[in-house]
Amino acid sequence: MKYEEAIKRLEEIVTEIESGKLDMDRIGESLKEARGLIKFCKDKLYETDEEIKKILETED
Amino acid sequence: MDTITLQELNGRVKSTLQFEMPDAYWVQAEISGISPSGQGHCYLELVQKDTTGRTFLAKAKANVWRNTWLKIKPYFEAETGESLKVGMKVLLQVTVTFHEVYGYSLVVQDIDPTYTMGDMARRRKEILDQLAKDGVIGLNHELEIPVLPHRIAVISSATAAGYGDFRNQLANNVYGFRFYVKLFQAAMQGDDVERSVIAALDAVAARMDDFDLVVIIRGGGAVSELSCFDSYNLAYNIANFPLPVITGIGHERDDTVADVVAHTKVKTPTAAAEFIINMVFDTAQVLETLARRMGDAVTGRMNTETVRLERLAQKLPSLFAVLKVRYEQMLENMWNKSVTGVSNLLTARVHKLELLEKSISAADPALILKRGFSLTRCNGHVVSSASDLKPGDRLTTVLADGSVESEII
Repeated sequence: MKYEEAIKRLEEIVTEIESGKLDMDRIGESLKEARGLIKFCKDKLYETDEEIKKILETED
Repeated sequence: MDTITLQELNGRVKSTLQFEMPDAYWVQAEISGISPSGQGHCYLELVQKDTTGRTFLAKAKANVWRNTWLKIKPYFEAETGESLKVGMKVLLQVTVTFHEVYGYSLVVQDIDPTYTMGDMARRRKEILDQLAKDGVIGLNHELEIPVLPHRIAVISSATAAGYGDFRNQLANNVYGFRFYVKLFQAAMQGDDVERSVIAALDAVAARMDDFDLVVIIRGGGAVSELSCFDSYNLAYNIANFPLPVITGIGHERDDTVADVVAHTKVKTPTAAAEFIINMVFDTAQVLETLARRMGDAVTGRMNTETVRLERLAQKLPSLFAVLKVRYEQMLENMWNKSVTGVSNLLTARVHKLELLEKSISAADPALILKRGFSLTRCNGHVVSSASDLKPGDRLTTVLADGSVESEII
C-alpha cells in the first residue's frame, strides 16, 4: 500500500466515525483498522524501509 | 627600385599605427579562445560573427598582461558571477599594437562587466521566450509533489560540498524522518554541464517509479558559473521531466533558466533539504491530526453511547412503576372477580344445604309417626310387603308413642 492511499483510507474512517452514523458494533473494527494505518504511516515516516534502501542501492 | 626589409616594413606599420591610433578604444567582441599563461598573463582570441553566428566578420588576438589580468579578472567575476570564457560577449578597452615579429594584436586595458551581464540577460530572456513559445515553461511546476517525498534522486557532483550539506541536513533532521538519497553524477560547472545533467535526468527517468523527487544541487563558490544553467536544452529537459525537479544551484544572482522551469527553486543545497523536510513535516502533521481526530471521535462516540445508556437506565424504574400499577390493577380486578365468584358459589351452596336440610327434616321418621303412620317389623326386619308375611308370624308395630305386639291368624 502507498502512504497516500493509507492516509486517504484513514481520513475516510475518521470522517465516518465523526459523523456518528457508524454502527457501534463496527467501531471496534474501524478503530483497529485505523490503528493499523497510523502505524503503517508512522513506520514510513520514521523507520528505515529496507526494501526502498535495497532498490536504491542497485546500480542502473 | 627601392627595396626595404620586412623588418623595416613592419616597423613602418607599427609606427603608423602608433601615430594614427594612439588612443584606447572600447570594443565589443566575443571570446573565441582564452589561455592563461604560466607567467600570469592571459591570451584571448576575439571574434565578431555575422547574425547567423556562422561567418566571421573580424578576428583579433588580445593580450591581457599580468598586472591588468590581476585586476580585471576578480573584478569581472565579482560583478558577473562568471569567469571569462569562450562564447562570452565582452566589452574591452584595448590599445592597438603591432609587433614586427608577432604582428597585429590588441592589449587589454580594462573590461566593462555590465555589457556581458546585459548580454547574458538577453540570452536568458531569449531562451525563456522560446520555452514559453514551445509551451513547456510551466510543465514541471504543474506536477504535484507526492505526499511523502522521501525517495530523492540527486543530480550533483559527488565531490561538491553542496551534496554533502544536503545529505547531512536530511540525515540529521530533528524530527527523525527517514530519507533515501541516490546520487546521479553530473558536472556542475564547465562545458559539460548541459550534456551530463541531461544524461543524469535520463538515468533517473529510466527508473522514475523508484523516486518521488529530483534535486539538482551544487555548492556555491566564489565564481558561481551559473550561465551553464541558462541552456535551452537543459531547461527543456527539466520542464518536461515526469518528476518534480527542485534546483538549489547557487545564489549569486538572479534565477537561471533551469531555476525558472524547475518545480521549485531554492538558493542552496541546504535550503533544498529544508524544503523537503518541511514538506514531510506537513505530511506528519496531517497524520497526527487524523490520529487525534480519530481518538476524539471514538471517545466522543463512547460518551454519547454512555449517556444514552444512562438515560435508558434512569427510565427503567419509572417504566417499572407504570407496569407495576398496571399489573396491580389487573391482579386486583382478578381478585375482585374471584371473590365475587366465590361468594356467589357459597351462597348457592348454602341455599342448597338449606333445601336439603328441609327435605331431610321432612323425612324424619318421628315426625311421620306423629302424623299417624306406623312402622311394622317382623323378626327384626321392616315389613314393606304383605306377601312377605304368613299366618303365625309375630309382628311388632312401632307407633309415635310406643309399640305393640300382634300375631297373624
